[in-house]
Amino acid sequence: MKRFLSSMIDGRGFDIGLVSLPLAFLLTLSGLPLLYNIVMSFQEVDMFSLGSFWRPFVGLKNYRDLFAQPETWPILANTATFVIASIAGQFLVGFGLALFFWTNFPGASWLRGLFLVSWVMPGLVVGAIWNWILSGDFGVLNFILRETGLIGGNIFWRSDPDFSLWAVIIANIWLGTSFNMILLSVGLSAIPRDLYEASELDGANVWQRFWTITLPMMRASIGAIIALGLIFTLQQFDLFAAITSGGPNNASNVTQYWAWDLSFRQYDFAKGATISVIMIVFVMIASVVYVRSTRHEVRG
Amino acid sequence: MAIRGSAILGALALAGVSLFGLSAKADDVTISVWSLDRDIQPAPNLIADFNKLSTGIKVEYRQIQFDDVVSEAMRAYSTGQAPDIIAIDNPEHALFSSRGAFLDLTDMIAKSTVVKTANYFPGPLASTMWDGKNYGLPKATNTIALYYNKDMFKAKGLDPDKPPQTWDELVDAARKLTDPAANVYGLAFSAKANEEGTFQFLPWAQMAGGGYEHINSDGAVKALDIWKTIITEKLASPDTLTRGQWDSTGTFNSGNAAMAISGPWELDRMVNEAKFDWGVALLPVPEVGAERSSAMGDFNWAIFSNTQHPAEAFKVLEYFASQDDRMFKDFGQLPARSDIAIPETGVPLKDAALKVFIEQLKFAKPRGPHPEWPKISKAIQDAIQAALTGQMTSKEALDQAAEKIKAVLG
Repeated sequence: MKRFLSSMIDGRGFDIGLVSLPLAFLLTLSGLPLLYNIVMSFQEVDMFSLGSFWRPFVGLKNYRDLFAQPETWPILANTATFVIASIAGQFLVGFGLALFFWTNFPGASWLRGLFLVSWVMPGLVVGAIWNWILSGDFGVLNFILRETGLIGGNIFWRSDPDFSLWAVIIANIWLGTSFNMILLSVGLSAIPRDLYEASELDGANVWQRFWTITLPMMRASIGAIIALGLIFTLQQFDLFAAITSGGPNNASNVTQYWAWDLSFRQYDFAKGATISVIMIVFVMIASVVYVRSTRHEVRG
Repeated sequence: MAIRGSAILGALALAGVSLFGLSAKADDVTISVWSLDRDIQPAPNLIADFNKLSTGIKVEYRQIQFDDVVSEAMRAYSTGQAPDIIAIDNPEHALFSSRGAFLDLTDMIAKSTVVKTANYFPGPLASTMWDGKNYGLPKATNTIALYYNKDMFKAKGLDPDKPPQTWDELVDAARKLTDPAANVYGLAFSAKANEEGTFQFLPWAQMAGGGYEHINSDGAVKALDIWKTIITEKLASPDTLTRGQWDSTGTFNSGNAAMAISGPWELDRMVNEAKFDWGVALLPVPEVGAERSSAMGDFNWAIFSNTQHPAEAFKVLEYFASQDDRMFKDFGQLPARSDIAIPETGVPLKDAALKVFIEQLKFAKPRGPHPEWPKISKAIQDAIQAALTGQMTSKEALDQAAEKIKAVLG
């Protein structure tokens, strides 16, 4: 008993106590809903059985039905395009900006802070603003492109099936760039300056320094930012709701918006849950990448 | 022992007090009402007035958000915490009544001296019915018609007193009125991939003899072809596909569209914003003499079947119905009643428009009623968008929709 008490105050028991609190928190607030979601994807759910847990078990029927729908594969493809293009755009622009501000010209840190404004704005507000910018008849973007002679006629960003997904991607890149830039800036400032001095003495040019010092030293940051980017883009919902509503004809529909549409517009909760389960698998992969890429930071 | 004794006494005393308290309030039956009306809209005001009457029934009000109405109601009902009365969007009424979640009011209405089904417009009334029985009462109603800019009609040599009567005339007029140089489209409407798209398209299909049960009939295909003509010839903005009715009509108000299809909810804004002479006409029909139709919107009242006080709840509904003549005067909404005349507002443009809307209401048809309406509606929206983006022909798109709807109807 005494040993137990002393271990509770200072020892293994104390550690377990500390760990178990957040663990219990995670399990009840994230783990259970996740499990419930998975269970729901194997059940027949309608609005009147929403309140109960014991619903008819239908095995893989929801999954089979889902993949029998003609829109499923196009929507999955859209999601892949959206995720890859958004992450690539956010990362490249963000990295470019981070390198730019790294040169530390006067006012650099001040300007870098300002860039965060896009990150703190609520998604629906951002969506509403981009909605105007991308509007076909009177949008600012079309005006600029027309005046600069890049396009002859208006592009209907939101309503043309060839452009609507890209309209959301543009807005999402704008939204996520600053977050990428800040995280990458932190990574850049952690690289010891003497490495560059040494390589400069050895005669390495800017290009060589970037490829042999900056990039390898940034590996952990880049892994983390891409994994986080994957999670954030898979969660991106507001922009779709505000700009295209997944239209026209599902041309800009992605799984996260579709899951919501099925559950709360068509009241097909089981299918909504099924899509969510498919998404969970991808987010899990991203999480593993994230945890692995940040692991040595924790140890160091 | 003494302590325990007094504790028991205390508990008994407490129980006595609370029992007494309960019995004193037991005369007042409490009825809970959920709706999405804000403080300037009907429900909270009618309830406040009702509570002043001290009828022995006390009504409690809770406002819910538009997006939450169905999911909140479902959750509440399946966990036994549903309110007594709810205001539900009319296409979702059958979802609840078909499953026995709403109370069958047929007998109570038959005995009622206040509520008479004959007084209601047929469309709104039909949306409250399931299997020939009454499961609610229409709360208010609305429909859509054709707004047109009389000044632009004059400028393009069209007769401002002869708005288009048929689809061909509509397309013709739209061609004449479209003026890309001046940023003017002939027509503004909504083909958005949500309920609004269905709301706008279904009347066209119905006028041509189609309907949701036979959405791929020749008439419906022709209707979608007309829409396709309007979009591909750029007689309406391509953004029609992603823009709701409110935003579309905004372009009419700002003079960027010569005609617009929308409902009476636009009137107040239009009176304020539109700097031109405008009028409202009945929705054009396929050909002269064809059957008329229009969309039917707004909410219905219903009583949940697990209410403890059905008689009292119905009394509350009777009170709401008895106040229908205030619907327009005090709250600007159209009562679903054919026996109530809409009073003049003193704004000539608005009064003329209201007359047309009341006329149009006679032909308004409900969406469904069907318990799986959202899925039927989704099939129709997908078809509209597939055709208008040129990915399918109207016939192919509607055939596919018919297939999906058949699977839902079983």
